[in-house]
Amino acid sequence: MSKNKTLTKKDQMQQDKAQDGQQMLVDFTRPRTNPMANVFDGLVRFCQSRSMFMLHYCTGCGAIELPPAMTSRFDMERLGIQPMVTPRQADILLITGYVSVKTLKRIILTYEQMAAPKYVIGICSCTVNGGMYWQSYATAKVLREYLPVDIYIAGCMPRPEAIIEGLQVLMDDIKTGRAENWKRYFQNYDYYLGNQQKLFGDHWQTPTDIISEARHYDLITENTLGKHTALLEKHQAPLQALEMTLQQNRERV
Amino acid sequence: MRPENYEARKHPPSNEFELNFGPNHPGIEGNYAFKVKLNGDEVLEAKADAGYLHRGFEKLMEGRLWIQNIALVPRICVPDPVPMEVCYSLAIEEIAGLEVPERAQWIRVMQLEMSRLAAHLFAFGGHAATCGMYTTMFWGVADRDLILDRFEELTGGRVYSIYNIPGGVRRDVPTGFLERLGSLLDYLESRLPDYDNLFFTNQIFIRRARDVGVMSQEQALKWGVTGPNLRATGLAFDVRRDDPYLVYDQIDFDIPTEPGGDCLSRNLVRRSELLQSIRILRQVIERLPSIKGPIRCPIPNPLAWNVPVGESYPRVESSKGELAYYVVSNGGDKPYRVHVRGPSSMHAVQVLEKLAVGSRLEDIAQIMFSLDACPPEVDR
Ligand code: SF4
Repeated sequence: MSKNKTLTKKDQMQQDKAQDGQQMLVDFTRPRTNPMANVFDGLVRFCQSRSMFMLHYCTGCGAIELPPAMTSRFDMERLGIQPMVTPRQADILLITGYVSVKTLKRIILTYEQMAAPKYVIGICSCTVNGGMYWQSYATAKVLREYLPVDIYIAGCMPRPEAIIEGLQVLMDDIKTGRAENWKRYFQNYDYYLGNQQKLFGDHWQTPTDIISEARHYDLITENTLGKHTALLEKHQAPLQALEMTLQQNRERV
Repeated sequence: MRPENYEARKHPPSNEFELNFGPNHPGIEGNYAFKVKLNGDEVLEAKADAGYLHRGFEKLMEGRLWIQNIALVPRICVPDPVPMEVCYSLAIEEIAGLEVPERAQWIRVMQLEMSRLAAHLFAFGGHAATCGMYTTMFWGVADRDLILDRFEELTGGRVYSIYNIPGGVRRDVPTGFLERLGSLLDYLESRLPDYDNLFFTNQIFIRRARDVGVMSQEQALKWGVTGPNLRATGLAFDVRRDDPYLVYDQIDFDIPTEPGGDCLSRNLVRRSELLQSIRILRQVIERLPSIKGPIRCPIPNPLAWNVPVGESYPRVESSKGELAYYVVSNGGDKPYRVHVRGPSSMHAVQVLEKLAVGSRLEDIAQIMFSLDACPPEVDR
C-alpha cells in the first residue's frame, strides 16, 4: 500500500517511447555558442530550482498529505517551495490524485495560464494509471496523455517524505537542465490536443493560443500542427471577440 | 438605424456581479466551487458547483467483491476515513449475522476516537487559516501528525488504514501501543490551553466568527444537519449515545453543546469534543488489556463469499456528522447496491448555499470550514 517510488524523467521518457509510438521526442539541447552563456544559464537554473512556487490546487485525495509536508513537521519551505494561489505566478502544478473529467478541464486551463518554465508533478498512483479507479466512468486515467508530466510520485497515498524526495528530484532536474518537459507541450501540441479532444469533444477550446505561443518561443516542430489542430482551427471562434465566442458555443450546444 | 434582428442585451444592475469562487482557491476546502452573486462584497446568492471529485463510488462498489470494497470506502472521506470502514463493516456484519468479538469492538472504538481527534484538529486548524491565523493551522497539522504516527503503528497506514474488515479487525494491538497512546493523550491535553490562548479565546477569531453563518435549531433540523454542527445549535443529539453501536453504551462521556449556531459555536463544540474523545480513549486504554479473546470472528473465504440476501442501514457518528450506509445484498459475491448517506452532502450544498446569503464574501470560506464539509464525500 505505502510502497513509494519516485519515477525520474528518464524512466518516464522510456515509458513514453514504448507506449506512444506516434509521439516523437525532440532533442531540446540547443548548443550555445557563447561560453559565458552556459555559465549564466547554469546560474539561472540554480536560482530557479531554489525558489519555486507551487500552485495551491488540491485535485484529489492525495492532497491530504500536503499539509503535513508543508507545515512544521516536514516543512517544504526549507527547500524554497511555497504554496502560491494564482497560476500566473506559480511554477509547479501539483496534481494530487485522481482527476475527474470535470477537473481535468480546469487543470488544462490552469496549466496553459502558467508562465514557462513550468513543471507538472503527478502525485499518487491514480495519476500514473488510474489507480483504484481504473474502471471508473468519471476519471481520466493516464495524466501524461493530457499534460507533459515531469515527475511522478507513486503510492496510495505517498508519504510526505516521498513527496519531498520527488520535489528534490525535480530540483536536481532543473539544476542540470533536464526538466524541460514544458517544451514538449508546445512541440507535441497536436498529440495532447488530440487526447483532450477525445475526452471533451471536438469543440474543446481554451482561451490560450498555444500555437502562437509556440511560434513565439520558437518551439514549432512537425508535431505541433496536425489534424487535431486543424480541427481546432476549424471550430475555433475568434479569440479577440470573447463574448461572441461564448455566444456561439452556447448555440452549438 | 438598427438591424432588424437587433435585440438589446439585458444587463444586470451594474452594482451586481457574479464571481466564480473556486475550485482553485485557497479558501475552499478541497476541490469544490461556488458561483456567488455579489453586491459590493455582500453575497446575494450562492450556488454550489460540485462534481469535481466525482468517481462514481456507488457504481464502482457494485463491481467489486465485498472484501475489495473495504479498500475503496475510506477514500470517500479523506480527513476522517475510519468511520467509513467501520460503518461498511457493520452493514455486512448485520446482513451476514456475524458476531464481532468484544475486543475487536473496543479496538474499533479506539480507532474511531483517534480519527475524530485527528479530524477535529485538522478542521479548526483549517478554520484558523481562513481567519489568517496560520500558526494554529501549523500546530494543528503537526499535532494531527502525531496521531497519524500512532495509526501507522497500529495499522500500517498513515491515513488510509484498511484495518477493519467484516468480522473484526486485521491485527491485534502491538505491545506497548496503549502506553504510547496514553502519553500522546497527555501531550494533546496539555496542548489545549495553548490552543485556547492562540485561537479559541483570541479576539481576532471571536470577532470574525461570532454571528456569522447563523442557523437556528429548527432550520438545522429541517436541513438535515447532523453532528457537531447540530450540537452547536443547542440540541444534544449524538448517534453514539442515542443509537449506540459497538460498545459506546458501556462508555461514559458527555455531549457538549453550544447555543449560538454560528461559526464560533461550531468551533467551540469541536474543542469540547476533543476533551471528550480523550476521555473515551482513556477508558479504552483502561479496559482493553482486561478484555481477552479473539480479534475477529471466522468468515468464509472472502474471495468467494456469498453474503446472504438482506439489507441493512447502520449509522455511526463521524467527526462531520451522521454517516450511514445502506447496503443491499442479493446473495451474490458483490453488493447489489450501496448507498452512502454522508453528512457533508447536506452541509456543503444546501446548508452552505443558504448560510452564505447575506454574509460577506470573505466569510464564505469561514462558513465552509466551520461546517467542516468534506468535498470528496459530497461528490463521491
Ligand atoms: S492513489 Fe490513492 S490516495 Fe492517491 S488519489 Fe488515488 S486513491 Fe487517492
